Amino acid sequence: MRALLFCLLLSALPTSVHAAIVQLEMRPGIPASAEYLAGQRDKPAVLLLHGFLQTRDFPTVATLARGLQDAGYTVLSPTLSLGIPNRMQSLACEAVHRHSLDDDIAEIAHWVDWLKSHGHRSIVLLGHSFGSLQLLAYLAAGPDATVKGYIGVSLIEAEVGTTPRAALIAWLESQVQLKQRTLVTQHLSYCRKYLSTSEALLSYVRWDQSHTLSVLKQSPVNVTLIMGDADDMLERGWLKALKHVQTPMVIVKDANHFMDGEHEFDLLDHTLKSMDLLNRP
Amino acid sequence: MKWPESFSVKQIAFAFITGLLILLCLIGGFAAYQTHAVTRSLEQHSQDAARSELAAAVERLLGQTEEQAVNLARWDETRQQLVLPEYYTYWRDQRVYESGMLNNRFARTALYNPSGALLAPSPEKNRLPAKLPARVSPHQPSSWLAIEAGTIALYHAFPVYSDENLQALLGHGLIRLDFMPALQRQQGFYSTDMASVKLALKPGEVLAASKLFSRLSFIARPDPDQLRFQGILSRTLLALFVLLVVSTLLGFMAYDLLLMRPLRRLSDDIDAMQHDRFSDSQARSKPMHIVELENIRRSLYDYQRQLRKLHGSLEHQNREFHSQARQDALTGCHNRRAYEEEWEHFRQKLKTAPQGVAFLLFDCDRFKTINDTYGHAKGDRVLTIIAEALGMALRANDRLYRLGGDEFAAFLSRTTPTQAKQVAQRCQSLIDESALADLGINEPVGISIGIAFCAADQLEHIDELPKQADIAMYTAKQPGHNRIALYGEDTERAAQALVASRETNALFQALATPGMVELHYQPIHGLPGHKVAYYEALARIRYNNELIMPDAFLPVISSRRLETEFDLAVLHQVDADLSLQQLPPGSGVSINLSAQSISRPEIVSYLVELSRHNVRHPLMLEITEISLITQMTEVRTYLDLLRTVHYRIAMDDFGTGHSPLLYLVDLPVDVVKFDISLVNKLGQDDRAGQVVADFARMMNDAGYALVAEGVETETVLHKVENLGFSHVQGYLLGRPVPLAQLAASLAAQDTGATCIA
Repeated sequence: MRALLFCLLLSALPTSVHAAIVQLEMRPGIPASAEYLAGQRDKPAVLLLHGFLQTRDFPTVATLARGLQDAGYTVLSPTLSLGIPNRMQSLACEAVHRHSLDDDIAEIAHWVDWLKSHGHRSIVLLGHSFGSLQLLAYLAAGPDATVKGYIGVSLIEAEVGTTPRAALIAWLESQVQLKQRTLVTQHLSYCRKYLSTSEALLSYVRWDQSHTLSVLKQSPVNVTLIMGDADDMLERGWLKALKHVQTPMVIVKDANHFMDGEHEFDLLDHTLKSMDLLNRP
Repeated sequence: MKWPESFSVKQIAFAFITGLLILLCLIGGFAAYQTHAVTRSLEQHSQDAARSELAAAVERLLGQTEEQAVNLARWDETRQQLVLPEYYTYWRDQRVYESGMLNNRFARTALYNPSGALLAPSPEKNRLPAKLPARVSPHQPSSWLAIEAGTIALYHAFPVYSDENLQALLGHGLIRLDFMPALQRQQGFYSTDMASVKLALKPGEVLAASKLFSRLSFIARPDPDQLRFQGILSRTLLALFVLLVVSTLLGFMAYDLLLMRPLRRLSDDIDAMQHDRFSDSQARSKPMHIVELENIRRSLYDYQRQLRKLHGSLEHQNREFHSQARQDALTGCHNRRAYEEEWEHFRQKLKTAPQGVAFLLFDCDRFKTINDTYGHAKGDRVLTIIAEALGMALRANDRLYRLGGDEFAAFLSRTTPTQAKQVAQRCQSLIDESALADLGINEPVGISIGIAFCAADQLEHIDELPKQADIAMYTAKQPGHNRIALYGEDTERAAQALVASRETNALFQALATPGMVELHYQPIHGLPGHKVAYYEALARIRYNNELIMPDAFLPVISSRRLETEFDLAVLHQVDADLSLQQLPPGSGVSINLSAQSISRPEIVSYLVELSRHNVRHPLMLEITEISLITQMTEVRTYLDLLRTVHYRIAMDDFGTGHSPLLYLVDLPVDVVKFDISLVNKLGQDDRAGQVVADFARMMNDAGYALVAEGVETETVLHKVENLGFSHVQGYLLGRPVPLAQLAASLAAQDTGATCIA
């Protein structure tokens, strides 16, 4: 991986006050950036990932990053490129989506490597919403050894609406086999009309509830989920399913999907507690 | 140019209205000028506003385009297409519009790689260049306009970087707008007529956006408020003008109705009054609407009525006066003045209406005797009866004139000599039949009539008719005539004799030649003592070295009515003689005057002038034929006047019918001269002598100075001395002699005059 990193003031200033934009070229011609909030060196670094098609500036993520940094954690909050050079805006559902979950996993791996290259030997993956799913996919793909834990906030499956997922997957697979480059419009997550290539779409729609639960169950690192019981974006029965597989999970009462408002503090508190638990030997 | 001295009300009204209209036109012109100036200012303001808003719109459009370009350059999906252009057409044709990056369908966009090549060919309709123009800077946005297929396109090219530091150039974007529709869609055009906006751009020409505005032409849209304002102002001015014109016309009509017509009516009435054409018509009695004019009209009307009433009264009185002035107070017929006026009028009338004319002259026979015998009252009554008879005898349209005394005249129109004679005979008949006997007059009273006739073809001799009638009258009175004489028929011989006689010629020549009248002076002696007190101036006419005596020329004077002229000639001669101072100082001079002359102003005036001789020679006037005096009051006044300048008044020929006793009583007489006929009676020892003697004594007792005329005997002289006569005159004591002879004899004598006490 060729790093195009530059860290402003990274070595010159105390770590506690470090904040820098880190840029890496994920693929040729597709650079991506992340905000690096330097924390205490003895604490694990947090790779904080935003939700579906969002950026690191998403309020839940940004607030969480500041809270973690304040608690002394180093936070690296990237914005996935989604195939766009230096993507800085949330990507519209109707935009052409050529990025796949594999691309996302690759970018996560890049950022883990970056942290690792910067001396962080203990990395906790912290994701919000679809970012939790993407981090989970990274874990499923075989994480770096420096990854010590996983916290999934408002973990969500790859919803496809009313479309029968199996038939969709089968159709997408046929399209891929036929090398059809025609863009497909499909319900995905909160996008009613998600425009994507068949191949890219197929990489996401495979992650249904059962696949997600299976990956959670087989996670190589400690897993903690923070969920809101008022999250109406979740598929019905999702929380119950999560409990069924006995995944360590914190239910924030009355919190919605974004854990905003007063629940920002609950989220931070539970996150910090989870971090403490993960940090114990 | 000369201004009239006065103007009519109509002229003033016209001048006022003309001035008002000129003023209105000036005001209207000024208002129109101001309106035009305001309109121009508003138009300029609209033009400026249009320019401003058009400039703002252009700037806004360019800004919007630039903003769109910036947004596009910063848009993640733009960068995505430059990196992965597989689905570029979807982005170009759909995503940029769905995402709102381009907000209208007139805008097109395209992406170019860093070398300026189009990522994918554009549809034909988009007309986007396949390669960016060379003038486009790689790192600077640029805008330009070009005309393509009749459409003006605005292009804006912009660089697209992959990083925020604008270091990594990914490619370029290009926005193309249909300029005019895009400009017209701009909001805020209030003053610009967008249909008029044109951009001067030649085909193939490329215009930098910075120079865009300089090529724009436009027309300012009329400001609705301005148009409304102009409309309101125009309507207001028009309405004001119409209102003023109507008001002016109505005012003029009211002025004409209420002021001009009444004033004209009053003026016409005054003119009518001046020319005596004023009438009480209904229009004039119609009241006026203006109180002051109505008062004037009423006053004028009342004044005119009073004036007419007064005029009528004056006319009536004038007619009365005119009638009285031309009417004889005694007889009621027309007097001499009327005669003279109407004769003149009649003569003038004859010039246009030739006709036969007869002139009749009437004279009462023996009237003097009747007057002397029966007194003036009876004499007047006789004249009245004669006048009535003559008036009845004349034709209906003939007029009778009393010329004086007992002389009447009439001129008959449209007549013949025969008819004139018939009228004359009828006059005589009626007089003969008149009841004069009722007056106690037993002796016959007749009338002599002289007739002169002038035929229609001989009217050039009309002026001779009175004289001819006079001659005829003279003939008629001659014994042997039947008292009616027609000139030319009955008077031919007599007239010839009269006119051709030596005496007549001498008389007329004497009247025309001073000095021909010669005065012979007969002494009047005072009693007792027989001293000469007066010399009576007795007239003679020296003609061809012959002396014509009064007996010869007095009838001519009487018949020709030349008493006054002759008396004047005598007075002139007296004046001349006295101026010679050949008479002894203190000796008086007695002058004879006819009764007719004493009532003539020219005679009285000359007598007053002659009175200057009274200092050297006391003057006495002897009035002859006093009975002929008709204007007793005037004569009395004149005599009183003459007495005040020291004339003594003597009644001549007392005792004859010419000097009746009544006149002696009425007139201021100082001296009574007994006629020779009475004086001769004194020489008789009979009752007549006794009566005259007693009468003389009575007169003497009454205070009259008595003069005995014609004393030719010592007996008579002795008698008159005894009877108290103060003066005596006669051949016994002295005959009349010429002045030279008298002066010579006086020089030889040492005599002196004594004053009459």
